[in-house]
Amino acid sequence: MHSEGTAQLPPVAPGIFTTGQEGEGSSLLGGACPACDRDFFPRPSRCPLCLGAIDEKNLGSTGKLYTFTVVRVKPSWGLPCPYGVGYVDLDGSGLRVLGLLDPESLDRLEIGLPLRLAVGEMGVDLRGNPCLRPFFQPAEEGAHE
Amino acid sequence: MNEVYLAGVGMTAFGVHAERTLVDLAGEAAGLALADAGLEPGRVDMGFFASATAAPLFKDVTVGQNVFWSVGINQIPIFNLENACTSGSAAFYLACNAIAAGQARAVLVVGGEKMCVPEAGLLNSGATELDTQLGLVTPASFAMRAVRHMAEFGTTAEQMAAVAVKNREHASFNPMAQFRKPTNVAEVLGSPMIADPLTRLQCCPIADGAAAVLLCAKEAVPSLDRCLRVRAWAYGTGDYANPQDMARWGTDYRVCASAYALAGMQPADLDLIECHDAFTIGEILHYEALGLCAPGEGGKLAASGDTALGGRIPVNVSGGLLSRGHPPGATGLAQVWELATQLRNEAGERQVAGAGTGLAHCMGGDKDGDAKSCTAIIITN
Repeated sequence: MHSEGTAQLPPVAPGIFTTGQEGEGSSLLGGACPACDRDFFPRPSRCPLCLGAIDEKNLGSTGKLYTFTVVRVKPSWGLPCPYGVGYVDLDGSGLRVLGLLDPESLDRLEIGLPLRLAVGEMGVDLRGNPCLRPFFQPAEEGAHE
Repeated sequence: MNEVYLAGVGMTAFGVHAERTLVDLAGEAAGLALADAGLEPGRVDMGFFASATAAPLFKDVTVGQNVFWSVGINQIPIFNLENACTSGSAAFYLACNAIAAGQARAVLVVGGEKMCVPEAGLLNSGATELDTQLGLVTPASFAMRAVRHMAEFGTTAEQMAAVAVKNREHASFNPMAQFRKPTNVAEVLGSPMIADPLTRLQCCPIADGAAAVLLCAKEAVPSLDRCLRVRAWAYGTGDYANPQDMARWGTDYRVCASAYALAGMQPADLDLIECHDAFTIGEILHYEALGLCAPGEGGKLAASGDTALGGRIPVNVSGGLLSRGHPPGATGLAQVWELATQLRNEAGERQVAGAGTGLAHCMGGDKDGDAKSCTAIIITN
């Protein structure tokens, strides 16, 4: 799936990713508490540890696959069937985040696989409207960017 | 702190009850528990009703008052509780607290679901949660634990399938279980894939059904003859730390350790366990958290026969969620129903010889790669 940045669609949820020029350089957006030196994804409205203010933080676009599965039953949200999800250890912050996986790369999934974030039209949002979702694809897919 | 006694239990058959309402099912279980204890409904002085799906599926709220009045109980404080898969066991926890604190003397806890309807999809952790919108459903969560456990410890698909085979074998001796036909490893692994590597026969089915238990202070127990003692009730929520270790479930270990500490017991003191086998890998993870084996050895334990009826520590002799089906509001109480039946030596063909101490363990919800809730209850005769 290489459809990032092609549509003027809303994100599945606000404030969870940013897309660069023409969709290249998509990054996850999270939060950081300067007092606790802790990062979060998604960004909480306040730090759950000190209840202080949270700064927006760009969590980057790369990581490694910690674990994964392919869901083969009828999906919700108009997601592809089958679709992959995994926990990804983000480079830099070290956060382990849940993410969708590129439906075209499901046969290449293995623990430790280097991944890069992409954003594209996938499924519908809570109101049933088409939307953009972030997903991870094997890192070399984006090497040309 | 007052001692807590388990005076009565009741349960409907689990399965598809298309012609019956939730109030009807739950009322049947409540009536059976009262009759089992020999307690007049008017003596009950607090009530809990647990259900996870009544509100989302039917927009039903405060169902508990309807259930309790259907068995002649009114005026007393009644609480409706939703806590995903631990709805029933969390209500049990609150009932024990009320008796221990002297706030109530006879507490009826009822849990039930009517969920075999077209609107029911896979359980998730709430539609507005980002994880859910990114495709996380409960089978996927456990499948990802399985992938990690296999990679770190060499756990095999066959070892996971052994859990399903064992529990179905147990269910063949349990007239109250929904699925009673024995299976085998090849059939389990050959059933349709739900979320790799978990096949359909490794995922618990849903069910309509209800269960109820009556908890009493000693002075309110109608007859001590068949009465059991609740030795520990532990409940914890997740720590939501990041990163979570998905092959060593910290919240599971913490709550199980808490139950043992409260009872002053160790794993070797248990004669049987009903644990949350919503998925085969779950039972394997719970073996490790419960201290039945070393971390990482759960797969080998599952295939060893030690957790089968007649083994060192039988687990899920009822057939478990995998065979009974999983109506979340009822499940935690159905586990207690099985412990009571065993500890009273009334379990027939599936009786654990000399059963004196049992543990019921339940987990629910999903948040940040952790559970939202975990309960462990220890009961003795």
